[in-house]
Amino acid sequence: MIIGNYHHKMAAHCESGSITSLLNHAGMKITEPMVFGISSGIFFAYFHKMKSFAFPTFIVRNKPGQMRKNLEKRTGVKFYSKDFKTPEAGQTALDLLISKGVPTAVQVDMFYLDYVPSWERVHINVHFLVVIGKEGDVYKVSDSYFPNPVDLPVSSMNKARFAQGSMSPKGFIFYPEFVPRSFDYEKAIRRGIKKACFYMLNLPIPFLGIKGIRMFAKKINDWPSLARDTEHLSHEVMKINILLEDQGTGGAGFRFMYATFLQQASEIIGNPGLKDMARELMEIGDGWRELSLFAARIGKNRDLGPEKFRQLSTLLYGRADKEEEFFKRLSKTIK
Amino acid sequence: MKEKDGFSECPEQQVILYVEKEDGKYEAMQTGSFISANYLDDYFFKRNNLEKNLQSKIEKAEINAIEYYLVLEDLTVSELAARAGIMKWVVRKHLKPGNFSKIRDDAMKKYSNVFNVPVEEIIKRQSGNRK
Repeated sequence: MIIGNYHHKMAAHCESGSITSLLNHAGMKITEPMVFGISSGIFFAYFHKMKSFAFPTFIVRNKPGQMRKNLEKRTGVKFYSKDFKTPEAGQTALDLLISKGVPTAVQVDMFYLDYVPSWERVHINVHFLVVIGKEGDVYKVSDSYFPNPVDLPVSSMNKARFAQGSMSPKGFIFYPEFVPRSFDYEKAIRRGIKKACFYMLNLPIPFLGIKGIRMFAKKINDWPSLARDTEHLSHEVMKINILLEDQGTGGAGFRFMYATFLQQASEIIGNPGLKDMARELMEIGDGWRELSLFAARIGKNRDLGPEKFRQLSTLLYGRADKEEEFFKRLSKTIK
Repeated sequence: MKEKDGFSECPEQQVILYVEKEDGKYEAMQTGSFISANYLDDYFFKRNNLEKNLQSKIEKAEINAIEYYLVLEDLTVSELAARAGIMKWVVRKHLKPGNFSKIRDDAMKKYSNVFNVPVEEIIKRQSGNRK
């Protein structure tokens, strides 16, 4: 059975894309940037040493699951969500929802998704997709990263939903069970922006927010000593580009999508100041993109001497300074 | 970013970027992945070298097939232990090159599930029977 009226649409990011698609299907007109902005999706965190990561890495969005929770608090949408102890229970619940015509988002480890090309397959337990049908032993899946719906065998789906390890999905599912006819956009936008500014500026933890960008700028000089060899270092440096541009961010580590949110918010709540902030963030994003292209280039050329890492570090410090100034002014603009 | 600057030709991997359109509005644009369009050959070059290098280490008994997949799939010992449901110290023991043959069938099956590679293939990898 395929849920016939479900409209598959590509999105920049899997979680905001899945949420947007489900809300649109339930009759709520909202864009992906608006979902991302209201739920304070923009963020930065640098992880130099973590038990679950084989090499230092960073994230450019808030914690997985937080978008959904923040959106509930700020718009009045209610999501049904549940996780499961066994694959059997998880499959039964999912199949029942599909048979009732309820498109359902599931959390998965991307590594087990057969339709994902080999070079994109990584063990990451926080990928979201929407299941929109099932025929025999195959699910029909709407994955925001693909232009068309795709097929996924039940066995692979169960593996992906019940992968263990850090942030294991535990078969997690969600779908909107209540969508308000309207909500106070201005209040939701203001709360979303204020919280994002707080996260970026005020968290007293050295690897989070602007402090995290500065820590990244400092610690990246240590990367050569952590790599197995030059090709490994090249791979990790080029991953900076992937994490900022490719891994579902809408470009420049979500900065372009957040700028789009600010532009849309400016029109909705009639605050021209936000439009100026949107333009400024687009320019800051251009700087992030310049940095990620630089990383890809030096990685490909194996031009990975200390001087290049100092340049990367300088570019990162530059982004930190710009974003600190930006978020301080953004929080004043919204007061 | 202007719309024209975001365009990349890569039918194999499409992405959504938010860009500035000609009328000044910021909107979504579907395009090819920049890094896949320009650097995918380099990714496969490095991947092949890594596979060869790890295989050669197996042959020299410096590592075993479990570590081969651990490195290839970018996992840590902690993460592999958590994913396989095997104590970390036991995984460490299994990673010692000489201990491969002592790994019990149930543990091997758990590794096989995590790596998404059949047990037979892991064993072949260890014995160097692969083409």
